[in-house]
Amino acid sequence: MTTLKQPFRGRTDFLPSSGYRLLPFRLNRLRERQDHYVITNDVGEHVLLSKLELEDFVDHRLGTTTALYRRLKSKHFLFDERSRVAIDLLALKYRSRVARVAEFTALHMFVVTLRCDHSCHYCQVSRQSEDRANFDMTPSHAEKALALVFRSPARHLKIEFQGGEPLLNFPLVRHIVERAEALNREHGRDLRFVIASNLSRLTDDVLGFCKDHGIELSTSLDGPADLHDAQRPTKDGSSHARVMDAVRRARAMLGDQSVSALMTTTPAALERVEEIVDEYVAAGFRSIFLRSLSPYGFAARSLIRRYNVQDWITFFKRGLQHILDLNRRGYAMREEYTTVLLQKLFSPTGSGYVDLQSPAGMGIGGIVYNYDGAVYASDEGRMLAEMGDTSFKLGHLDEDSYKSMMTGDALLGPLEATVLESVPMCADCAFQPCCGADPVFHQATQGDWVGHKALSAFCEKQTAVLEFLVALLEDDAFARRTLLGWL
Amino acid sequence: MSNGKRAFSLHPDRIDLALDASVYSTIAVQKAGYRLARRCSLVIECLAENELRGTLLLPQGTTEAHAREVAADFFRELSDQQLRERIQEETKGIRELVLAHAFSKTDLINRQ
Repeated sequence: MTTLKQPFRGRTDFLPSSGYRLLPFRLNRLRERQDHYVITNDVGEHVLLSKLELEDFVDHRLGTTTALYRRLKSKHFLFDERSRVAIDLLALKYRSRVARVAEFTALHMFVVTLRCDHSCHYCQVSRQSEDRANFDMTPSHAEKALALVFRSPARHLKIEFQGGEPLLNFPLVRHIVERAEALNREHGRDLRFVIASNLSRLTDDVLGFCKDHGIELSTSLDGPADLHDAQRPTKDGSSHARVMDAVRRARAMLGDQSVSALMTTTPAALERVEEIVDEYVAAGFRSIFLRSLSPYGFAARSLIRRYNVQDWITFFKRGLQHILDLNRRGYAMREEYTTVLLQKLFSPTGSGYVDLQSPAGMGIGGIVYNYDGAVYASDEGRMLAEMGDTSFKLGHLDEDSYKSMMTGDALLGPLEATVLESVPMCADCAFQPCCGADPVFHQATQGDWVGHKALSAFCEKQTAVLEFLVALLEDDAFARRTLLGWL
Repeated sequence: MSNGKRAFSLHPDRIDLALDASVYSTIAVQKAGYRLARRCSLVIECLAENELRGTLLLPQGTTEAHAREVAADFFRELSDQQLRERIQEETKGIRELVLAHAFSKTDLINRQ
């Protein structure tokens, strides 16, 4: 039988004799509404309330017939003698939210080449080179990486081809897809493929292969032609025209939802968010990912110095308001980062987005097999390695076993140190259930995995975006309906 | 949220604090100082009976108006931290019960 630790007591000890009892929750004072608080519990439920209401609630003075009492009770912030299943429901919801951890590594990124025909200002990992021998993944490394893919117990596996530009090494993409499918006949997983590509080499041959194997495409579209081409230069300056043409051809052959796109916010993009969103609409996209610049790589760092996190937050808020306006006018469009946060707020199982997990998604959510056989805990980890910091290198396909890489200090160290429940500030933060540990970001910006959250741009960004979303959900009925429709 | 005795005095380079230790816990004071790390550094100097003394060190060139703002934000934050402590204490047993119950039917608990 299971032995309970000494401090555990029987269930009846927790029944309220009269009035109500508090269930565990966390609180944050809203920065833009000083007399209001958002409270959340471990299963992600949230309620916005005034300081006076919070005081009444905590001091057990809340009237049992008030709407707030019913709201707090229904969302598991309190229970009373009429609550028959409060503990059971909370436990069930908690178990659902953390079940993903046991699922283990679902996303496997193959960097099939570092070669690229673009020289994007914010990219540090690509090479404009014809040197296949030095910058392409070998079939032997691909085979070893595939063996690791199926060591993961995950029922759902996604293989994502990254670069450089992966279509410059399409023969290897083809080989990996066919080998993975062959291996999966024995393993029986839900196996999916994505090619993250600038689409400049999207031939009919490639499209035919994608159609035959159900491969999705993910591309970059930074906005209108002048902005996109300035940020994503090619020899002939035709990146925008090529990507628009490729998107049209891909949709015609693979279906309307076969291509997704994301953008990167540079200083030049800051004032143009409405134009960027409108470009997505003109191209027929139904979603956009308003993505901040990551502080990896020297070029990205020089760009990021030209704007601060508050600039990006303003950009994001304007962009989201514009997207909501589009919805108001009848064009169904969603923002992907918001969707991830909403899933974490409202979905019983949260979100699988690897950058917002606790424990962190590195290694146990996603893993990178680099072109040279090195294995990294995350895509950002390999970018950091390009700057000389190999903290997140788990090992090498030729030298290290699955066991040594997945139980080594390079992975377990940052995972254990950054679990949000034990991190200063995060442990008490109301937004903890919607947030995640980001050891690579804090290593890059503060030199340690945990980072001081009062000084963290990641924390500032998360807090501002979540406060904005919570206020929208509370204050704007149309926004609430629309946002909940994105789940 | 709490009405404990609290006193502070402003200086050009620091804010001296004297807090009622029966109302504010050391951990709440530390957490409040941690959150304000961008604007000041907290030093807890001594813990006399029922009095917690500390200093918020201010960056060079801080104006008096800004120092007052830091002090106000510190005490606002301290109230929140103290409230968090209270909630955590009151709900600690329930949190453990929920977690134990959540995993009770999995094979993750060592069975004897």
